[in-house]
Amino acid sequence: MHLTGLDLLFWAAGFVEQLGLLFVLWYRRRAGAFPFFTALVALNVTRTITLYLVNRYGTNNDYAYSYWTLAILDMTLQLCVVYEVASLVFRPLDVWAEDIRSSFVWLISLSLLVALGLTWLGSVPSQTWMQALTTRGNLFASTLLSELFVAMMALSMKVQLPWRTHVAKIAQGLGAYSLISVLIDTGRSYFGTGRERPAFVAISHVRMAAYLGCVTYWIASLWPDEVPARTMTAEMREKLFTLQAQVAYHLQDLRSRKK
Amino acid sequence: MQTPNLYFFAAIAIFFSVLIVIAGYYYWRNRRSSPAQFEDLFAQLKWIDRNHIAQVALDLVDPSGRSKVDEEAATLEPSQLWNLIGGLDGLEIMERNSEVLIALAFYVQQWYPEAVPVAERLRLDARELKFHVGRLRGAAQQGNLQISFPFYAQRAVTTYYRMTRRVLELYEAANVPMVADLQRSL
Repeated sequence: MHLTGLDLLFWAAGFVEQLGLLFVLWYRRRAGAFPFFTALVALNVTRTITLYLVNRYGTNNDYAYSYWTLAILDMTLQLCVVYEVASLVFRPLDVWAEDIRSSFVWLISLSLLVALGLTWLGSVPSQTWMQALTTRGNLFASTLLSELFVAMMALSMKVQLPWRTHVAKIAQGLGAYSLISVLIDTGRSYFGTGRERPAFVAISHVRMAAYLGCVTYWIASLWPDEVPARTMTAEMREKLFTLQAQVAYHLQDLRSRKK
Repeated sequence: MQTPNLYFFAAIAIFFSVLIVIAGYYYWRNRRSSPAQFEDLFAQLKWIDRNHIAQVALDLVDPSGRSKVDEEAATLEPSQLWNLIGGLDGLEIMERNSEVLIALAFYVQQWYPEAVPVAERLRLDARELKFHVGRLRGAAQQGNLQISFPFYAQRAVTTYYRMTRRVLELYEAANVPMVADLQRSL
């Protein structure tokens, strides 16, 4: 596969930026709080190296096989990041907040149905089944992820569960990228895939530029600390413990009244 | 290039527009309702006569928050309740204030992660308050507000009263300097 200077520039910039993001996650100790997100970034670094080497030394079939395998891994990890974000927002006491469970199941089911419907509706002018599968797979992934991020945002506002800064930044970045990807994958469905099509190449560059913007946003947002936690004194802790006991009693009392 | 599938592009256009509108709306609402500074949060609290709130709530529970026994409980007349609470309008102010109370708890929780359970309980209390107010709105639409008001309104006010006590106690426990401002308001 022939790569132009611009292609190589995007590859190199993407690689350097993703390494930078990986460094921020490790150096600023964010990896422990966001293991799936860190794994996603690590996969993207690995993917850039692997695809570059396969493109240089392998056949077209090798490249297609590697691309598809890594794309499935990427999609899986992106869904894991959705779970990670949801878990940090909707499990404030380490269990799913009781009032969101049914809404969450309903939203996931609806998102899956809409994503499947749009993917089924799309017509892909591709030369090979692999290209058709890749285009449809990408469209499905981007529609599903964008729906899930918007749904989580709406649900958290509705049930008044606040987002901590870093979780919000990760979700905003991935959500925005997924929304842009919906347009890009729609463009691919229209123009078709394959490097012999100039429109496909241009759209790929737009996707890479959007991703570079997203990674830059994450680097800038994840470098600063959130509000630093303070340590409670023994007296404060005791007061809070008493308050929590009162809260538990009052809540039980109110629940029994409702019945 | 094959003939474009118009249904597909129309569906994508609708899908994308709907997502952008929903995301934009909630992003804007989030920015508006989550100010970073205590003063901005505090300014969002609408004034309610705290003596009236206490009077209505303490008719149902004792100062420690325990339910009163039947003969001592709920002695206020429906007309007194209506005047003390300020009708449905008063309850709607409490409903909006309950969102600010949650944000105030989250403000403290940012520094003291141990406060998460209190913030979560406040959130569930606010849901309960909304449930009571929702029932009253439904009753108002059906013309049954006078019948339903005493039961649901007094419970809503009691929930709100407890929320205000919890926020005050949380700020006192965390030794936050702004506690005096809150004590004057809640």
